[in-house]
Amino acid sequence: MSAMLWRASLRHLAAHPWQLGLSILGIALGVAVVVAVDLANESARRAFTGFAESLTGRATHRIVGGPSGVPEDLYVRLRRSGVRSLAPVVERDVSAVDWPGRTFHLLGIDPFVEAPFRSFVTSETASAATPLAPLLTRPATALLARSTATQLGLRPGDTFAIRAGTHRRRLELVGVMTAADALRARTLESLLVTDVATAQEVTGGIGRLSHIDVIAPAGPAGHAWLERIRAQLPPAAEIVPASESARALSDLSRGFSVNLTALSLLALFVGIFLVYNTMSFSVVQRRPLIGALRALGVTRREIWLLIMTEALALGALATTVGLPAGILLGGGLLRLVTRTINDLYVVVAVHDLVLAPSTLLAGAVLGIGGTLIATLAPALEATRSTPRAALGRSTLESRARTLAPRLAMAGGVLLVTGVAVLAVDVRSLALSYGGLFTILLGAALLTPAVTVGVVRLVQPLAGAAFGLLGRMATRGVTASLSRTAVAMAALMIAVSASVGVGIMIDSFRSSVVRWLETSLQADVYVSAPSLVSSRADATLAPELVERLSAVPGVAAMGTQRTVRVQSKEGPVQLIVLSMASHAYRALALKEGDRATLWRRFGEGEVVLVSEPFAYHRRLTIGDRVSLRTDTGERNFPIGGIVYDYGSSAGIVLMGRQAYERSWTDRGISSLGIYAKDPREVDALIEALRRAAGPEDVFIRSNRALREASLEVFDRTFAVTGVLRLLAMVVAFVGVLSALMAQALERSREIGVLRAQGLTPLQVWGLTASQTGFMGLVAGLLALPVGSVLALVLIFVINRRSFGWTLQLEIAPAILLQAVLLAVGAALLAAVYPAWRMSAMALPAAVREE
Amino acid sequence: MPGETSPAVELSRVVKSYREGESERVVLREVDLTVAAGEIVVLLGRSGSGKSTLLNLVSGIDRPTSGTVRVEGVDVAALSETARTLLRRRRIGFIFQFYNLIPTLTVEENLRLPLELNGVDGADGRARALDLLAEVGLRDRAASFPDRLSGGEQQRVAVARALVHEPALVLADEPTGNLDAESARQVLALLAGLARREGKTVIAASHSDEVAALADRVLTLADGRLLERPPR
Repeated sequence: MSAMLWRASLRHLAAHPWQLGLSILGIALGVAVVVAVDLANESARRAFTGFAESLTGRATHRIVGGPSGVPEDLYVRLRRSGVRSLAPVVERDVSAVDWPGRTFHLLGIDPFVEAPFRSFVTSETASAATPLAPLLTRPATALLARSTATQLGLRPGDTFAIRAGTHRRRLELVGVMTAADALRARTLESLLVTDVATAQEVTGGIGRLSHIDVIAPAGPAGHAWLERIRAQLPPAAEIVPASESARALSDLSRGFSVNLTALSLLALFVGIFLVYNTMSFSVVQRRPLIGALRALGVTRREIWLLIMTEALALGALATTVGLPAGILLGGGLLRLVTRTINDLYVVVAVHDLVLAPSTLLAGAVLGIGGTLIATLAPALEATRSTPRAALGRSTLESRARTLAPRLAMAGGVLLVTGVAVLAVDVRSLALSYGGLFTILLGAALLTPAVTVGVVRLVQPLAGAAFGLLGRMATRGVTASLSRTAVAMAALMIAVSASVGVGIMIDSFRSSVVRWLETSLQADVYVSAPSLVSSRADATLAPELVERLSAVPGVAAMGTQRTVRVQSKEGPVQLIVLSMASHAYRALALKEGDRATLWRRFGEGEVVLVSEPFAYHRRLTIGDRVSLRTDTGERNFPIGGIVYDYGSSAGIVLMGRQAYERSWTDRGISSLGIYAKDPREVDALIEALRRAAGPEDVFIRSNRALREASLEVFDRTFAVTGVLRLLAMVVAFVGVLSALMAQALERSREIGVLRAQGLTPLQVWGLTASQTGFMGLVAGLLALPVGSVLALVLIFVINRRSFGWTLQLEIAPAILLQAVLLAVGAALLAAVYPAWRMSAMALPAAVREE
Repeated sequence: MPGETSPAVELSRVVKSYREGESERVVLREVDLTVAAGEIVVLLGRSGSGKSTLLNLVSGIDRPTSGTVRVEGVDVAALSETARTLLRRRRIGFIFQFYNLIPTLTVEENLRLPLELNGVDGADGRARALDLLAEVGLRDRAASFPDRLSGGEQQRVAVARALVHEPALVLADEPTGNLDAESARQVLALLAGLARREGKTVIAASHSDEVAALADRVLTLADGRLLERPPR
C-alpha cells in the first residue's frame, strides 16, 4: 500500500490531537481497569493458595477432625503403630496486641519431625544462630521471619503479646527465620512458629491438634498404606488430600473474583464502545476524503486496511499506556480486594502485586483486539463509501435516518436474544454475562430511533420555549444523526452501567439491612474477637458465659457456635444455635413449614441451610446434608431454607441439641442476650462489661453490631464502587471526545450563524443546549436500560454466582444522579467547542473549502 | 490490444435511472457517445441534467441501468469492483469542482499519491511531481498544504494530479465551477494545453461556455438525452 496513504492517515490523526488523545485515554483506561482487577485478583489468589501450599509443604494428605480438631493421642497412637511420616500441626490466626491490625498465622509444630514436611523451620531457615531447641525446652517461645521481626523492632529475647479469641499470651522471640525464595519469604512474613505445646496453650486447645500432616508413599502402595491409616482413625477423623485445603480457599472467593472480573469487563465494554464511536466518527468525518481516494483508484481493501491499521496503532498505543496504568491501579485495588477477602473469607497478608504475564497478555489482546473488533464496522462502512467525492452530507444523514428503524429492529432482536439467553436455566456465568452484553448492545442499537422519536416530540416545545435557536438545537441532533447517535449510545451505555451497578449495590445493601433487622433480635451481643469479620469462630470461656447469664437485667440468652466441619464436598460452615423459642423468628425463613419447623429444629430433628448453600449444592427441603460428626458420617434432613447474606458459600444451621448429640465440642462463640427492660440496654451493657472483667470480649448493642456488619458490607462493595466510578470515567472521556469532535465539526455552520449576527453568548447557548439535550436523552434512556441491567445483575448474575435472593430497591436518587451525570458530562463536553466557536475567526469559518 | 483500435470512450444505448421512493427518475435515456483518443469533449447542461452521472458511469464509479460503457474497448460495467477501481487508478485522472485534494498531504505529496498507487515512487515520482508542479506554476508551493492555497491554485494542483500518472482519459466535473473568471481561465488553459500536448482524452462536464470554447466537440445533456452542439 502507498506510503502516501499512511502519511495522510497519520497526519489526519495528528491534526485531531484531542480526538486522538481522548480515544487513547478511553481505551487505555478500559485496559487499565481490566488488567488492574485481574492482577489484584490473581495476586490475592496466588498469595492465598501460595500461603496454603507453603504451609502444606510436601504433605500429600492430612488427617482432619471435627470442630475442635483431632486428639493429640491419635498422633501418638499412629506413630507408635509404626507410621513415621506424620507431623502434628496446631494453627490459628492470631492478632498482635501491640500492633493493632497486624495478624500472624500461628503454626505450632514438632521441630523433630518437621524436616520432611516444611523446610522453613529446619536448618535451612533456622541456622546455627537460631537454634530450634529453645522452642522445645522453654515454654511460650516463638520464631518470626527476620523481615517481620525487623519491621516490628523485635530482637531475640524480646517478648510480645498475641491474642487468639479471648486468650492473650506473651511470647518470647527466640530466633528469626530467613527464606530461600520469594514465595516462601511471603509465607514466612505472616508466620509465627511455636512448638505444638505452646500453640495449644495459646489457642486454649490443650491435647488437641488442628490436623496431622501425612506424606503417603507414591503409587498403589501408597493407597494401601493410606487405607491402613484410615482403619485406625476414630469416627470423627478422616484423611483427605492435602491439596483440598488450598483449593477450598480459592473456591471460597471464586464468585467474588468472577464478579469483579465481570465488572472490569463492563468497563472495557464501555471503552470498546467508545472506540467504535471514535472510529465511526473518524470515518464519517473523512467520508469526502475517502470518496476522493476511491475516485483516484484506491481500492476498498486498501481503505479497509488503512482504517484497521489506524485502529491497530491506536489500540497498541492505548494498550502501552493502559498496561502500566493497570499495574499502578492494581496495587490500589489489591488492598481493597484483600480487605474484602480478609473480611469475608480468610486472613492472609498480601503485599505484592504479582505481575502475571498471562494477565498482561490478556490486557494487550483485549486492548488491541477490542479496538480492532470495534473498528470492523466503521472500516466496512468506509469501504462502502461511494467514490463520489461530493456525496452530500444530507444524503448521508437521510440514510442514517432511514437506517434508524432497521437498527432498532436489529436492536429489538438482540434484546429478545439476550433475554432468551438469560432465561436459559444454566449456571454458566459466562453465558449470563453474554446475555447481559447482548441486551446492552440491543439497547445501543435502539438509540437512533428513540432519538428521532424524542426529537419529534420535543421540537415544538423547544421551538415554543426558545424560538428558532431551540428548534435548531434539537433538530441539529437528528440532522447529524450519523454522528450524534453513536455518541449518545455510548453515553447511554456508560450511564446505564452506573445505574445498574448502583441499583444492584443498593438492593444488596437494603436486603442485608432487612436481613440484619430480622436476624438481630437480641438486645446485646457478646462474642470473642475474631479476625474474620463474618465468622466468629473463637470461643467464650464457659465460666464467662455463666457470669454473664447471672447479670441482673438479663431476661434470656441464646448461644451460637460457629465451626467448620467436614463434608464429602469439602468443609462446611456450621452454625449451632440455642435460642429462646420466641427468638426463632430471627431466622429469616425463605422456605419451610413455620408451623412445625421451629419445634423440629429446636429438638434437633432437622437442620436449616442458607440460600447459597442450597443453591450451590442443589438441595431442597427434605434432602439431606451429610456431615462428618464425632461419631462418623451422618445425614441431617433439611427442614427449611433461610435467607443469609453472611456467607457466599452458604451455611448449615443446627440446633444445639442435635449438635451435642453428634459432637463433643461444647464451645460457645457468641451470645445473644435479651434485656428484661429493653429501655435499659446501655445499663445492661455496662453491667455485662463489669461482669466480663478484663476478658477480651466484644459486648455490643444490637445497633452497634448492625452498624459493624454494615461497615463490613460497605467495605466489601468499596471495590465495586471504585470499578463503577472507573467505568464512568472511561465513559466520560469517550463522550467528551465524541461530543467535542461533533461540536467542532459544526464550526462552519456556527460561523455562518455568527456572520448573520449570532452573539458569542448565543453560540454558547446553542452548543450547550444541543449537547445538553443529547445528554438528557441519553440519561433518560439509561434509566430503563440501567434498570434492566440491575435486574439481570440482581436476579441472574448474583443468583448464579452466590444463590442470593435480593430485594430490588430502586432509589430515586440513583436515577436522578444518572440523568444529572449524563447532562453534566454532555455540558462539560460542550465547554471547549463552545469557547472555540464563539472566539473563532469568521472568515476562516465561513470559507467554503 | 483494445486500446490501439477502439475509441477512448464508447457509450451505447446507456440508460441510468434512480428509484426515489415509489417513483423512478430517469437521468440518462438511451445515450450513445463515442469519444476518440486525444479528443477533448465538453458536456454542457443544467445542474441535475446528468453530466456528473455520465462521468461516474465512464469512470466505473456507477453502473448503467442498461446499455454498455466501454473505456479503451473494455466493458466497464462487466468489471468487478476492484477491476473498476484499478482501471481508474491506471487509466483515468479526475478533476473535481471542489478540488478534493487530500488535506493531510502537501501539494507535492498529493501529486505523488497517484504515482505511488501505480508503483512509481522514490526519486522518479518526486521528479515527475515537481516537473508537473512547475508546469502549473506552483513549484514553489510544493511543500505547502492545500488549505494554504487559493481556490485557483488548488484546482491547478488538481489538474496536475489528474495528469501526473499519465492516464489515457481525464474526467473533469465542473473544473471551474468554484473559481473566479481569471483563475478559471488559467486552469482551463493548463488543462487544455497539457492534455493536447500529451495526447490525453478529456471529457469535461460544465455549464460554462468558456470551458466549451476549448473543446473539439461540445455536447449538451437535456432531459436525459445527449445532443451534439455545432461548434461556434
